Amino acid sequence: MGTDVHSLVGAYVLDAVDDLERVAFERHVQECDACRTELDELRETSARMADSTWSVPPPRMRTEVMAAIGRTRQLPPPEPAAPAHKSRETRVRRWTLAAAAAVVLAAGTGTTVYAIQDQRVRDQSAVAAAAELREARIQSILASPDLVVRTSPVRGGGTLTVASSVTRNAAVVSLGADRAPASNQAFQLWSIHGSTPADAGVMAAGAGSAVAVVDGLPGSDALGVTLEPAGGSLTPTEPLYAKVSLT
Amino acid sequence: MTDYGTARRPEHLAAVPTPPADVGDLLRAVARGDEAAFARLYDLVAPRVYGLIRRVLRDPAQAEEVAQEVLVEVWRTAARFDGSRGSATAWVFTIAHRRAVDRVRAEQASADRTLKVGAASVDTPYDEVVDEVSGRLERQQVRHCLDDLTELQRQAVTLAYYQGHSYREVAELLGTPLPTVKTRMRDGLIRLRDCLGVEVMA
Repeated sequence: MGTDVHSLVGAYVLDAVDDLERVAFERHVQECDACRTELDELRETSARMADSTWSVPPPRMRTEVMAAIGRTRQLPPPEPAAPAHKSRETRVRRWTLAAAAAVVLAAGTGTTVYAIQDQRVRDQSAVAAAAELREARIQSILASPDLVVRTSPVRGGGTLTVASSVTRNAAVVSLGADRAPASNQAFQLWSIHGSTPADAGVMAAGAGSAVAVVDGLPGSDALGVTLEPAGGSLTPTEPLYAKVSLT
Repeated sequence: MTDYGTARRPEHLAAVPTPPADVGDLLRAVARGDEAAFARLYDLVAPRVYGLIRRVLRDPAQAEEVAQEVLVEVWRTAARFDGSRGSATAWVFTIAHRRAVDRVRAEQASADRTLKVGAASVDTPYDEVVDEVSGRLERQQVRHCLDDLTELQRQAVTLAYYQGHSYREVAELLGTPLPTVKTRMRDGLIRLRDCLGVEVMA
Protein backbone atom coordinates (compact mmCIF):
# COMPACT_ATOMS: atom_id res chain seq x y z
CA MET A 1 0.00 0.00 0.00
CA GLY A 2 2.77 2.38 1.00
CA THR A 3 4.72 1.75 -2.15
CA ASP A 4 1.57 2.30 -4.17
CA VAL A 5 1.13 5.79 -2.78
CA HIS A 6 4.81 6.48 -3.19
CA SER A 7 4.65 5.71 -6.91
CA LEU A 8 2.82 9.04 -7.18
CA VAL A 9 5.98 11.00 -6.29
CA GLY A 10 6.64 12.10 -9.88
CA ALA A 11 3.03 13.08 -10.55
CA TYR A 12 2.88 14.83 -7.18
CA VAL A 13 5.93 16.94 -7.89
CA LEU A 14 4.50 17.88 -11.28
CA ASP A 15 1.20 18.95 -9.64
CA ALA A 16 -0.53 16.28 -11.71
CA VAL A 17 -2.43 14.58 -8.87
CA ASP A 18 -5.87 15.39 -7.49
CA ASP A 19 -6.43 16.80 -4.02
CA LEU A 20 -7.09 13.50 -2.36
CA GLU A 21 -3.98 11.91 -3.78
CA ARG A 22 -2.09 14.96 -2.64
CA VAL A 23 -3.31 14.54 0.93
CA ALA A 24 -2.56 10.81 0.85
CA PHE A 25 0.91 11.42 -0.52
CA GLU A 26 1.76 14.15 1.99
CA ARG A 27 0.72 11.92 4.88
CA HIS A 28 2.82 9.14 3.42
CA VAL A 29 5.89 11.34 3.16
CA GLN A 30 5.60 12.46 6.77
CA GLU A 31 6.16 8.87 7.82
CA CYS A 32 9.03 8.09 5.44
CA ASP A 33 12.38 9.87 5.60
CA ALA A 34 13.84 8.22 2.51
CA CYS A 35 10.77 9.21 0.54
CA ARG A 36 11.20 12.80 1.63
CA THR A 37 14.70 12.92 0.20
CA GLU A 38 13.46 11.64 -3.14
CA LEU A 39 10.58 14.11 -3.01
CA ASP A 40 12.86 17.06 -2.29
CA GLU A 41 15.25 16.13 -5.08
CA LEU A 42 12.52 15.61 -7.65
CA ARG A 43 10.80 18.84 -6.63
CA GLU A 44 14.09 20.64 -7.07
CA THR A 45 14.44 18.98 -10.46
CA SER A 46 10.97 19.90 -11.68
CA ALA A 47 11.51 23.50 -10.58
CA ARG A 48 14.58 23.62 -12.81
CA MET A 49 12.22 23.17 -15.74
CA ALA A 50 11.07 26.73 -15.07
CA ASP A 51 14.53 27.84 -16.23
CA SER A 52 13.46 27.41 -19.82
CA THR A 53 10.29 29.45 -19.51
CA TRP A 54 11.83 32.90 -19.26
CA SER A 55 9.49 35.67 -20.40
CA VAL A 56 9.80 39.26 -19.26
CA PRO A 57 6.58 40.44 -17.61
CA PRO A 58 5.04 43.80 -18.44
CA PRO A 59 6.84 46.52 -16.46
CA ARG A 60 3.64 47.59 -14.68
CA MET A 61 3.58 44.23 -12.93
CA ARG A 62 6.61 45.19 -10.88
CA THR A 63 5.00 48.43 -9.77
CA GLU A 64 1.82 46.63 -8.83
CA VAL A 65 3.58 43.85 -6.93
CA MET A 66 5.76 46.31 -5.01
CA ALA A 67 2.64 48.28 -4.10
CA ALA A 68 0.84 45.10 -3.03
CA ILE A 69 3.59 43.92 -0.70
CA GLY A 70 3.51 47.34 0.97
CA ARG A 71 0.03 46.52 2.22
CA THR A 72 0.49 42.79 2.80
CA ARG A 73 1.33 41.51 6.25
CA GLN A 74 3.90 38.72 6.37
CA LEU A 75 3.43 35.40 8.08
CA PRO A 76 5.60 34.74 11.13
CA PRO A 77 8.18 31.91 10.99
CA PRO A 78 6.65 28.48 11.60
CA GLU A 79 6.60 27.17 15.16
CA PRO A 80 9.40 24.67 15.65
CA ALA A 81 6.99 21.93 16.75
CA ALA A 82 4.75 22.28 13.72
CA PRO A 83 6.95 22.26 10.63
CA ALA A 84 6.08 22.03 6.92
CA HIS A 85 2.75 20.32 7.54
CA LYS A 86 0.90 23.38 8.81
CA SER A 87 1.84 25.66 5.99
CA ARG A 88 0.79 23.04 3.54
CA GLU A 89 -2.74 22.80 4.80
CA THR A 90 -3.40 26.29 3.62
CA ARG A 91 -2.40 25.19 0.19
CA VAL A 92 -4.95 22.42 -0.17
CA ARG A 93 -5.96 22.86 -3.71
CA ARG A 94 -9.11 23.28 -5.60
CA TRP A 95 -10.73 20.09 -6.59
CA THR A 96 -10.13 18.50 -9.92
CA LEU A 97 -13.23 17.78 -11.86
CA ALA A 98 -12.61 14.77 -14.02
CA ALA A 99 -14.22 14.80 -17.43
CA ALA A 100 -17.72 13.40 -17.13
CA ALA A 101 -17.40 13.35 -13.39
CA ALA A 102 -20.14 12.56 -10.98
CA VAL A 103 -21.13 15.77 -9.30
CA VAL A 104 -22.09 15.14 -5.74
CA LEU A 105 -24.47 17.31 -3.83
CA ALA A 106 -25.16 16.71 -0.19
CA ALA A 107 -28.85 17.04 0.56
CA GLY A 108 -30.13 18.21 3.96
CA THR A 109 -31.41 14.77 4.91
CA GLY A 110 -27.93 13.37 5.05
CA THR A 111 -28.49 11.23 2.02
CA THR A 112 -26.34 11.81 -1.01
CA VAL A 113 -27.79 12.86 -4.30
CA TYR A 114 -25.72 12.27 -7.37
CA ALA A 115 -26.34 14.47 -10.30
CA ILE A 116 -24.45 13.02 -13.17
CA GLN A 117 -23.08 15.72 -15.38
CA ASP A 118 -21.14 15.52 -18.53
CA GLN A 119 -19.38 18.07 -20.64
CA ARG A 120 -22.28 18.44 -23.00
CA VAL A 121 -24.53 19.84 -20.31
CA ARG A 122 -26.06 23.05 -21.61
CA ASP A 123 -26.41 25.01 -18.43
CA GLN A 124 -22.82 25.87 -17.74
CA SER A 125 -23.58 28.10 -14.79
CA ALA A 126 -25.43 25.30 -13.02
CA VAL A 127 -22.42 23.08 -13.55
CA ALA A 128 -20.15 25.77 -12.17
CA ALA A 129 -22.36 26.33 -9.13
CA ALA A 130 -22.60 22.61 -8.45
CA ALA A 131 -18.87 22.19 -8.85
CA GLU A 132 -18.24 25.04 -6.45
CA LEU A 133 -20.60 23.67 -3.83
CA ARG A 134 -19.07 20.27 -4.10
CA GLU A 135 -15.59 21.68 -3.99
CA ALA A 136 -16.33 23.63 -0.81
CA ARG A 137 -17.76 20.50 0.79
CA ILE A 138 -14.78 18.40 -0.20
CA GLN A 139 -12.40 21.05 1.08
CA SER A 140 -14.13 21.20 4.43
CA ILE A 141 -13.83 17.42 4.83
CA LEU A 142 -10.21 17.32 3.72
CA ALA A 143 -9.36 20.16 6.09
CA SER A 144 -10.86 18.46 9.13
CA PRO A 145 -8.27 17.82 11.86
CA ASP A 146 -9.30 14.20 12.38
CA LEU A 147 -8.97 13.22 8.72
CA VAL A 148 -7.83 9.65 8.21
CA VAL A 149 -6.65 8.60 4.77
CA ARG A 150 -6.79 4.96 3.77
CA THR A 151 -6.01 3.36 0.44
CA SER A 152 -6.50 0.04 -1.26
CA PRO A 153 -5.41 -1.32 -4.62
CA VAL A 154 -8.11 -1.80 -7.25
CA ARG A 155 -8.54 -5.11 -9.04
CA GLY A 156 -6.81 -4.73 -12.41
CA GLY A 157 -4.68 -1.83 -11.16
CA GLY A 158 -5.33 1.55 -9.60
CA THR A 159 -6.08 2.96 -6.19
CA LEU A 160 -9.15 3.51 -4.07
CA THR A 161 -8.57 6.29 -1.56
CA VAL A 162 -10.93 7.05 1.29
CA ALA A 163 -10.37 10.18 3.37
CA SER A 164 -12.82 10.10 6.23
CA SER A 165 -13.58 12.42 9.09
CA VAL A 166 -15.61 11.31 12.10
CA THR A 167 -16.36 14.88 13.17
CA ARG A 168 -17.81 15.68 9.72
CA ASN A 169 -19.40 12.24 9.55
CA ALA A 170 -18.44 12.07 5.91
CA ALA A 171 -15.73 10.80 3.63
CA VAL A 172 -14.22 11.83 0.34
CA VAL A 173 -13.78 8.80 -1.87
CA SER A 174 -11.50 8.84 -4.87
CA LEU A 175 -11.47 5.95 -7.26
CA GLY A 176 -8.71 5.75 -9.83
CA ALA A 177 -8.95 2.53 -11.79
CA ASP A 178 -6.30 1.91 -14.40
CA ARG A 179 -8.88 0.38 -16.71
CA ALA A 180 -12.09 2.25 -17.31
CA PRO A 181 -15.24 0.13 -17.50
CA ALA A 182 -17.10 -0.36 -20.77
CA SER A 183 -19.54 2.41 -21.67
CA ASN A 184 -22.51 0.33 -20.49
CA GLN A 185 -20.95 -0.36 -17.10
CA ALA A 186 -20.23 1.74 -14.02
CA PHE A 187 -18.41 1.47 -10.73
CA GLN A 188 -20.68 1.51 -7.70
CA LEU A 189 -19.75 2.26 -4.11
CA TRP A 190 -21.10 0.30 -1.15
CA SER A 191 -20.90 1.16 2.51
CA ILE A 192 -20.65 -2.09 4.40
CA HIS A 193 -21.99 -2.66 7.92
CA GLY A 194 -20.95 -6.10 9.13
CA SER A 195 -21.78 -8.12 6.04
CA THR A 196 -24.60 -5.88 4.81
CA PRO A 197 -23.79 -3.63 1.86
CA ALA A 198 -25.76 -0.44 1.22
CA ASP A 199 -25.64 1.62 -1.96
CA ALA A 200 -23.28 4.58 -1.52
CA GLY A 201 -23.43 5.97 -5.02
CA VAL A 202 -22.90 5.05 -8.66
CA MET A 203 -20.17 6.54 -10.81
CA ALA A 204 -20.74 7.73 -14.35
CA ALA A 205 -20.92 4.95 -16.93
CA GLY A 206 -17.54 4.19 -18.45
CA ALA A 207 -15.68 6.36 -15.94
CA GLY A 208 -12.56 4.82 -14.46
CA SER A 209 -11.81 7.66 -12.12
CA ALA A 210 -14.19 9.70 -10.05
CA VAL A 211 -14.54 11.44 -6.74
CA ALA A 212 -17.53 11.26 -4.41
CA VAL A 213 -18.56 12.47 -1.00
CA VAL A 214 -20.21 9.76 1.08
CA ASP A 215 -22.12 10.96 4.11
CA GLY A 216 -22.23 8.79 7.21
CA LEU A 217 -19.41 6.63 5.94
CA PRO A 218 -17.31 6.79 9.12
CA GLY A 219 -20.09 4.79 10.85
CA SER A 220 -19.55 1.89 8.46
CA ASP A 221 -17.11 -0.97 8.72
CA ALA A 222 -15.84 -0.75 5.16
CA LEU A 223 -16.29 0.79 1.74
CA GLY A 224 -16.46 -1.54 -1.24
CA VAL A 225 -16.46 -1.01 -5.00
CA THR A 226 -18.10 -3.27 -7.57
CA LEU A 227 -18.60 -3.13 -11.32
CA GLU A 228 -22.30 -2.93 -12.25
CA PRO A 229 -24.45 -2.21 -15.28
CA ALA A 230 -24.64 1.54 -15.97
CA GLY A 231 -26.91 3.21 -13.44
CA GLY A 232 -26.05 0.74 -10.68
CA SER A 233 -27.63 -2.29 -9.06
CA LEU A 234 -29.71 -2.86 -5.94
CA THR A 235 -27.29 -5.44 -4.60
CA PRO A 236 -23.57 -5.72 -5.35
CA THR A 237 -22.37 -8.01 -8.09
CA GLU A 238 -19.28 -10.05 -7.30
CA PRO A 239 -16.34 -9.66 -7.43
CA LEU A 240 -15.36 -6.79 -5.20
CA TYR A 241 -13.04 -4.50 -7.17
CA ALA A 242 -11.66 -2.74 -4.12
CA LYS A 243 -12.35 -2.54 -0.42
CA VAL A 244 -11.11 -0.21 2.28
CA SER A 245 -11.66 -1.23 5.87
CA LEU A 246 -12.72 1.66 8.09
CA THR A 247 -12.33 0.07 11.48
CA MET B 1 12.32 50.64 -3.28
CA THR B 2 14.28 49.99 -6.37
CA ASP B 3 17.42 51.40 -4.83
CA TYR B 4 19.76 48.46 -4.85
CA GLY B 5 22.17 50.22 -2.56
CA THR B 6 19.85 49.71 0.39
CA ALA B 7 19.89 45.94 0.08
CA ARG B 8 21.93 43.81 2.43
CA ARG B 9 24.53 43.05 -0.17
CA PRO B 10 27.25 45.64 -0.83
CA GLU B 11 26.54 47.76 -3.86
CA HIS B 12 29.54 46.67 -5.88
CA LEU B 13 28.15 43.14 -5.97
CA ALA B 14 24.62 44.17 -6.78
CA ALA B 15 25.60 45.31 -10.26
CA VAL B 16 26.95 41.88 -11.16
CA PRO B 17 24.44 39.38 -12.60
CA THR B 18 23.48 37.55 -9.44
CA PRO B 19 23.99 33.78 -9.41
CA PRO B 20 20.98 31.67 -8.36
CA ALA B 21 22.50 30.87 -4.98
CA ASP B 22 21.83 34.43 -3.84
CA VAL B 23 18.10 34.00 -4.12
CA GLY B 24 18.28 32.20 -0.79
CA ASP B 25 19.97 35.14 0.93
CA LEU B 26 17.47 37.53 -0.56
CA LEU B 27 14.56 35.38 0.51
CA ARG B 28 15.85 35.29 4.08
CA ALA B 29 16.11 39.08 4.05
CA VAL B 30 12.60 39.27 2.62
CA ALA B 31 11.39 37.13 5.52
CA ARG B 32 12.59 39.92 7.81
CA GLY B 33 10.48 42.45 5.92
CA ASP B 34 13.23 43.88 3.70
CA GLU B 35 11.40 45.43 0.73
CA ALA B 36 14.58 46.33 -1.12
CA ALA B 37 15.64 42.69 -0.97
CA PHE B 38 12.23 41.76 -2.34
CA ALA B 39 12.71 44.16 -5.25
CA ARG B 40 15.97 42.42 -6.13
CA LEU B 41 14.39 39.02 -5.68
CA TYR B 42 11.62 40.14 -8.01
CA ASP B 43 14.10 41.04 -10.72
CA LEU B 44 15.76 37.66 -10.43
CA VAL B 45 12.72 35.42 -10.43
CA ALA B 46 9.80 37.36 -11.97
CA PRO B 47 10.65 36.55 -15.61
CA ARG B 48 10.69 32.84 -14.86
CA VAL B 49 7.61 33.00 -12.63
CA TYR B 50 5.71 34.91 -15.30
CA GLY B 51 7.15 32.79 -18.10
CA LEU B 52 6.23 29.53 -16.39
CA ILE B 53 2.70 30.62 -15.57
CA ARG B 54 2.20 32.01 -19.04
CA ARG B 55 3.38 28.79 -20.55
CA VAL B 56 0.87 26.81 -18.51
CA LEU B 57 -2.08 29.21 -18.84
CA ARG B 58 -1.33 30.51 -22.36
CA ASP B 59 -3.26 33.70 -21.74
CA PRO B 60 -0.90 36.63 -20.99
CA ALA B 61 -3.49 38.62 -19.00
CA GLN B 62 -4.34 35.70 -16.77
CA ALA B 63 -0.68 34.85 -16.42
CA GLU B 64 0.03 38.36 -15.24
CA GLU B 65 -2.72 38.18 -12.65
CA VAL B 66 -1.57 34.81 -11.30
CA ALA B 67 2.11 35.83 -11.36
CA GLN B 68 1.26 38.85 -9.23
CA GLU B 69 -0.53 36.65 -6.73
CA VAL B 70 2.43 34.31 -6.61
CA LEU B 71 4.98 37.05 -6.04
CA VAL B 72 2.91 38.60 -3.26
CA GLU B 73 2.58 35.11 -1.79
CA VAL B 74 6.37 34.81 -1.83
CA TRP B 75 6.55 38.02 0.17
CA ARG B 76 3.83 36.90 2.57
CA THR B 77 5.18 33.41 3.27
CA ALA B 78 8.94 33.98 2.96
CA ALA B 79 9.48 32.99 6.59
CA ARG B 80 8.10 29.54 5.80
CA PHE B 81 10.90 28.75 3.37
CA ASP B 82 12.98 25.87 4.73
CA GLY B 83 16.44 25.76 3.17
CA SER B 84 17.02 22.17 4.27
CA ARG B 85 14.27 20.98 1.93
CA GLY B 86 15.55 22.64 -1.24
CA SER B 87 16.67 25.82 -2.92
CA ALA B 88 14.89 29.16 -2.69
CA THR B 89 14.32 29.28 -6.45
CA ALA B 90 12.69 25.86 -6.38
CA TRP B 91 10.49 27.05 -3.51
CA VAL B 92 9.34 30.04 -5.54
CA PHE B 93 8.71 28.06 -8.73
CA THR B 94 6.85 25.38 -6.78
CA ILE B 95 4.42 28.02 -5.56
CA ALA B 96 4.17 29.47 -9.07
CA HIS B 97 3.52 26.14 -10.74
CA ARG B 98 0.92 25.11 -8.22
CA ARG B 99 -0.96 28.37 -8.57
CA ALA B 100 -0.91 28.07 -12.34
CA VAL B 101 -2.23 24.52 -12.20
CA ASP B 102 -4.83 25.57 -9.63
CA ARG B 103 -6.08 28.12 -12.10
CA VAL B 104 -6.28 25.53 -14.87
CA ARG B 105 -8.22 23.13 -12.65
CA ALA B 106 -10.54 25.83 -11.37
CA GLU B 107 -11.41 26.73 -14.92
CA GLN B 108 -12.04 23.11 -15.77
CA ALA B 109 -14.23 22.82 -12.69
CA SER B 110 -16.39 25.73 -13.67
CA ALA B 111 -16.58 24.24 -17.16
CA ASP B 112 -15.76 27.50 -18.84
CA ARG B 113 -12.31 26.77 -20.09
CA THR B 114 -12.12 28.24 -23.52
CA LEU B 115 -9.47 27.41 -26.00
CA LYS B 116 -7.03 30.23 -26.13
CA VAL B 117 -5.79 29.54 -29.59
CA GLY B 118 -3.43 32.10 -30.93
CA ALA B 119 -2.22 33.33 -27.58
CA ALA B 120 0.21 30.44 -27.62
CA SER B 121 1.88 31.43 -30.81
CA VAL B 122 2.08 35.18 -30.28
CA ASP B 123 4.88 36.34 -28.08
CA THR B 124 4.71 39.69 -26.35
CA PRO B 125 7.24 42.29 -27.44
CA TYR B 126 8.92 41.92 -24.05
CA ASP B 127 10.15 38.48 -25.06
CA GLU B 128 12.54 39.98 -27.57
CA VAL B 129 14.52 41.58 -24.83
CA VAL B 130 14.99 38.52 -22.88
CA ASP B 131 17.04 35.85 -24.35
CA GLU B 132 20.40 37.38 -23.71
CA VAL B 133 20.56 37.18 -19.97
CA SER B 134 22.48 35.09 -17.52
CA GLY B 135 19.98 32.25 -17.32
CA ARG B 136 20.77 31.19 -20.85
CA LEU B 137 23.17 28.43 -19.95
CA GLU B 138 20.74 26.93 -17.50
CA ARG B 139 17.96 27.02 -20.04
CA GLN B 140 20.10 25.19 -22.53
CA GLN B 141 21.02 22.63 -19.93
CA VAL B 142 17.38 21.90 -19.12
CA ARG B 143 16.54 21.54 -22.80
CA HIS B 144 19.51 19.31 -23.37
CA CYS B 145 18.57 17.10 -20.42
CA LEU B 146 14.93 16.91 -21.51
CA ASP B 147 16.13 15.71 -24.91
CA ASP B 148 18.00 12.99 -23.10
CA LEU B 149 14.78 11.39 -21.79
CA THR B 150 12.92 8.68 -23.64
CA GLU B 151 10.06 9.97 -25.76
CA LEU B 152 7.43 8.77 -23.30
CA GLN B 153 9.26 10.14 -20.26
CA ARG B 154 9.66 13.51 -21.91
CA GLN B 155 6.03 13.69 -23.02
CA ALA B 156 4.72 12.64 -19.61
CA VAL B 157 6.87 15.15 -17.74
CA THR B 158 6.39 18.10 -20.08
CA LEU B 159 2.63 17.64 -20.63
CA ALA B 160 2.19 17.80 -16.87
CA TYR B 161 4.66 20.54 -16.09
CA TYR B 162 4.37 22.92 -19.01
CA GLN B 163 0.73 22.35 -19.87
CA GLY B 164 -0.71 21.66 -16.44
CA HIS B 165 -2.31 18.31 -17.29
CA SER B 166 -3.12 15.81 -14.55
CA TYR B 167 -1.53 12.40 -14.93
CA ARG B 168 -4.94 11.01 -15.84
CA GLU B 169 -5.21 13.52 -18.67
CA VAL B 170 -1.65 12.72 -19.74
CA ALA B 171 -2.52 9.00 -19.86
CA GLU B 172 -5.48 9.80 -22.06
CA LEU B 173 -3.53 12.13 -24.33
CA LEU B 174 -0.77 9.60 -24.83
CA GLY B 175 -3.04 6.56 -24.93
CA THR B 176 -0.88 5.00 -22.24
CA PRO B 177 -2.02 3.11 -19.12
CA LEU B 178 -2.11 5.14 -15.89
CA PRO B 179 0.53 3.12 -14.02
CA THR B 180 2.93 3.57 -16.94
CA VAL B 181 2.39 7.32 -16.91
CA LYS B 182 3.02 7.50 -13.14
CA THR B 183 6.18 5.48 -13.56
CA ARG B 184 7.44 7.52 -16.51
CA MET B 185 6.88 10.76 -14.64
CA ARG B 186 8.92 9.42 -11.76
CA ASP B 187 11.77 7.82 -13.68
CA GLY B 188 11.79 10.70 -16.15
CA LEU B 189 12.36 13.14 -13.31
CA ILE B 190 15.01 10.89 -11.80
CA ARG B 191 16.87 10.87 -15.09
CA LEU B 192 16.49 14.62 -15.37
CA ARG B 193 17.77 14.99 -11.80
CA ASP B 194 20.89 12.98 -12.62
CA CYS B 195 21.48 14.87 -15.85
CA LEU B 196 21.14 18.25 -14.15
CA GLY B 197 23.15 17.11 -11.15
CA VAL B 198 20.46 18.23 -8.72
CA GLU B 199 21.20 17.65 -5.06
CA VAL B 200 19.40 18.62 -1.91
CA MET B 201 21.46 18.68 1.20
CA ALA B 202 19.72 16.80 3.96
